[in-house]
Amino acid sequence: MLNRRSFLVSTAATAVFAGSARLAFAAPSDGVLTVAMIGEPPTLDVMQTTTDLVMTIDQHIFETLYTYDAEWKTVPLLAAAQPVISDDGLTYTIALREGVKFHNGAVMTSDDVVASLRRWLDLATKGKQVAAFVESLEADGPNTVVFRLNAHYSPLIATLCSGSVILPVTTLADPLTEFVGTGPYVLKERRPDQYIQMVRFDDYASPEGEPSNYAGGREAIAKEIRFVPVPDANTRVEGLLSGQFDFADSLPVSAYDRLNGSDKSAPVIFENAGWVSMNMNMKQGLMTSKALRQAVQLALNPTDMMMAAFDADMFYSVDGSIFPKGFFWHTEAGIARYGEGDPEGAAKMLAEAGYDGTPLRLMTSRQYEFHYKISEVAKAYLEAAGFKIDLQVVDWATLTTRRADPDLWDIFVTHSNFPGDPSTINTLSDNYPGWYVSDQKAEAVAAYMNATTDEAKFAAWERIQTAIYDDVPLYKVGNFNALAGVAKGVAGYEPTYWPHFWNVSPKE
Amino acid sequence: MTLVPAALRPLLRNRAVVFGMIVLAIVVLAAIFAPLLAPYAPNRLSIVNKLKPPSAAHLFGTDEFGRDIFSRAIFAGRISLLVSLGVVALSTVLGLILGVLAGYFRRLDAPISRLIDAMMSFPDILLAIALVAALGPSVVTVIIALGITYAPRLARIVRGSTLVLREMPYIEAAITLGLPTWQVIGRHLLLNLASPILVQATFVFASAMLAEASLSFLGVGVSTDMPTWGTMLASGREYMSNAPWLMVFPGLAIVFSVLSLQLLGDGLRDLVDPRLSKEH
Amino acid sequence: MNRIAQALVRRLAGMAIVLAIVATVVFLIVRVTPGDPAAVMLGSDATPEDIAQLREKLGLNAPLVVQYGQFLWGLLHGDLGQSIFLNQSVGQALLSRAEPTFFLTLFAILIATAIALPVGVLSAVKRGTLFDQIVVTVTMVAASVPSFWLGLVLIQIFAVQMGWFPASGYGGPDTPFGARLHHLILPAITLGVVNSALITRFTRAAMLDVLGDDYIRTARAKGAGEGRVVLKHALRNAMVPIITVIGLSVAMLVAGAVVTESVFGLPGVGNLVVSAVLRRDYPVIQGTLLAAAAIYVLINFIVDMLYVVADPRVKL
Repeated sequence: MLNRRSFLVSTAATAVFAGSARLAFAAPSDGVLTVAMIGEPPTLDVMQTTTDLVMTIDQHIFETLYTYDAEWKTVPLLAAAQPVISDDGLTYTIALREGVKFHNGAVMTSDDVVASLRRWLDLATKGKQVAAFVESLEADGPNTVVFRLNAHYSPLIATLCSGSVILPVTTLADPLTEFVGTGPYVLKERRPDQYIQMVRFDDYASPEGEPSNYAGGREAIAKEIRFVPVPDANTRVEGLLSGQFDFADSLPVSAYDRLNGSDKSAPVIFENAGWVSMNMNMKQGLMTSKALRQAVQLALNPTDMMMAAFDADMFYSVDGSIFPKGFFWHTEAGIARYGEGDPEGAAKMLAEAGYDGTPLRLMTSRQYEFHYKISEVAKAYLEAAGFKIDLQVVDWATLTTRRADPDLWDIFVTHSNFPGDPSTINTLSDNYPGWYVSDQKAEAVAAYMNATTDEAKFAAWERIQTAIYDDVPLYKVGNFNALAGVAKGVAGYEPTYWPHFWNVSPKE
Repeated sequence: MTLVPAALRPLLRNRAVVFGMIVLAIVVLAAIFAPLLAPYAPNRLSIVNKLKPPSAAHLFGTDEFGRDIFSRAIFAGRISLLVSLGVVALSTVLGLILGVLAGYFRRLDAPISRLIDAMMSFPDILLAIALVAALGPSVVTVIIALGITYAPRLARIVRGSTLVLREMPYIEAAITLGLPTWQVIGRHLLLNLASPILVQATFVFASAMLAEASLSFLGVGVSTDMPTWGTMLASGREYMSNAPWLMVFPGLAIVFSVLSLQLLGDGLRDLVDPRLSKEH
Repeated sequence: MNRIAQALVRRLAGMAIVLAIVATVVFLIVRVTPGDPAAVMLGSDATPEDIAQLREKLGLNAPLVVQYGQFLWGLLHGDLGQSIFLNQSVGQALLSRAEPTFFLTLFAILIATAIALPVGVLSAVKRGTLFDQIVVTVTMVAASVPSFWLGLVLIQIFAVQMGWFPASGYGGPDTPFGARLHHLILPAITLGVVNSALITRFTRAAMLDVLGDDYIRTARAKGAGEGRVVLKHALRNAMVPIITVIGLSVAMLVAGAVVTESVFGLPGVGNLVVSAVLRRDYPVIQGTLLAAAAIYVLINFIVDMLYVVADPRVKL
């Protein structure tokens, strides 16, 4: 058995080798990959929802114009090349790859792309935000589309990397009834709560290049993939250990040693899968006081919270920078009141702010057990600082509904992935629950949108992070790694935030 | 049929019942004197001490937050017993009202019986799940959900007994004498209903304890600062194979409590209904 | 004959009223539930405006009375509505999940009865012996164990360590029927054990009740063999209460299946309800609760009919 440290190194190493080895040896296989997912997706229409579950499953069926490589740079997927941007920065001309076929046999043209993206601008949460910047979107011949913007919007291409999928214009409807894409797998059957079955798309046109994160060549090696909903995390572990699944997603970190000790499976760690935050209600209630928000910030001890939630330090890192080390956006700028946990200091701030003992409503759910665990530890530290805490453990459906009502909560716990573009962080929107409205934020975000070079963007991002630490719309708890498990004999799996199974060889 | 201490004496001759009473007494006393008995505060975190196996310092080991499981199990007994007791009280009151109304006033019998049938026809845990989702997870809502769920069981028994009692000569006499209805019901009927209700309530107590654990396990149970045995089991599941003590002790607490209640219920039933006493 | 027909009609009318009450209660419970299917569907990035839009589209903003009317109107046409999440009608959703639940319940009741009947009868006949005492103790303990706890232990031992059974699920698209049933063995044992304890105790009690009766003594006095006395005379007469408790058990199993299916990840009706509650799929919650209640009512009806068969003295 590999020990923990060398395992991390070796996953990184296999990730490097996997690509070339695959090109040399992988042949189409008759095998099936059975993948245990965290539940039944609410819909397969990825424009409707942005949940990770839907993204993970849908990326095998549908593709976007661009995607992310291992450095989180945007690279072409259905597009033929990087966009050509006009000198004023307002016109993006995107050439499409030619001869790409949909699962129904039709060849993709600019009409399909324009119609799909218009639906996305119209319907998707992110699309609607982008729509505010879009003057027009037109086809220019069968293989080119042109975006014209009304203002600088630097994250445009990043937003074309997820959710903004391309479907045949003939199947577009609301709600979607046909799920036809260009991806390496074709949806065969969906039996809710039982399985989603996909089979290899024989006419698949793969992009070029070495596989890297979601980018590069894609080959449907397994004949078939089955996504099985297994909502209970421990059942996923047990199914993997008993050889029933080839892959199991989001496993509790406590299962690591069992997976490692098993002859049927091996653990896979995806580093920096996301970050946990405690988001504060700046519109109504206790947390509208900046001094109290800062007191919360000062009181908390992120190391204890992360350790309680993620067990061993191989599964988390505590870092004030919103983006972790190794990301382009990593910076120490503005970090304050983070790292030690100082309930005494916070108690002083409470006294100065004239805190009157009103209970602080901390809302959390057990949908993600680590949300709950982090809340339990947060409660202990906040109480030590003198806050009165009303811990409300509700189910996820209730939480997502209640957090939209500023009357009902003061802090809620959530987590996010690290977006390719920092300006797409939810909290930076004025409307996201928490309602973070501030002049220094608005100025910093505007500077970001107008930036044309990476250096200028980085400088603007440093201002944004500084504003976040001063205004405290959220408390960043820490970064976490995700644990998944792969059956022995399955080859070529590369960990990605949304696990993907092209280029993966099933068991013999 | 009324219960007086002398009538209880035969209970003590039944070894199983005595065992049940002792176990129940231990559980109840431990819950009442929890603050004195528990070596640690039940919610005291000590992250460095997490998932420690049973030892002299931590009799039942520690959980994933380093909290002392022995202390938590004792405090959990409070909430678990409180919830079950609340369920018994609520279902008894509801059952008594419905049952007496249906059994005593003939015109109300048909509609109330249909209502009882309708309530009975929900698979119990399903109704409770839906109700807890509707009312939000808390001690009170779990009590309401399970109380409503078990009320028809009591209502049926009360109705049946009331139908019989109503024909009894002394009740008929009281009615003929012009005693107000509320006095007939209050003075004569309720007293005689006490024993069948007591028996059934004991079983409801046991069922409620199991149901609370199931609800917590499904993630729609009690949610408070204090643990219940059910929530302890639910959160211990993740560690079942590397730290089994998280599930063993709260599980045993449930088994023993439920067992003691069932033994007691059986003993009481034998006492109240001698026809069945040949069971033992 | 005429009286039986009349009684039947009355019984059926009663059943209809019960189901109407159930439908209304279910509708009301579901509507007061906080949480919103639209918010669940849209995911964590959704803005309140998006959610409001989707609610409108799903018809969730219509007045309660209108929604109730639509629900009842649909019911009268045998239409339970359309699931918000599953891309199927509630009827289809129920049907596609009926198989595991049906066989799970069937296996569980078979296991329970197969153990309980002989053990219960034997323990009554050998009343007071060591065997009887062991049976009484074991059934008492078995009835006190939370079923999910038992299920988890069985998974640990027989699926993870021994590898004899799958740990969860119901197989994939091409799993043959036999292999699917293989998935049900551990869950059926989990579910069957508790009920087996109940039925054993009931059988024992009913048999004891009958064995003390005069005609049994008469039969014995006439020199009938003990086996014949027990099986022919006593069991036959104890059958009515035993049928009742088995019928009751089936109804309880449907409820128990919720927990068991959740432990074993079986795609059955119980799991459907739990996930529907968690994602607030209103039509599915309504439809399943209603269907469960209907099945219960039906089982009760069948049990009553069986009485008549088992004991001609019973009238409807």
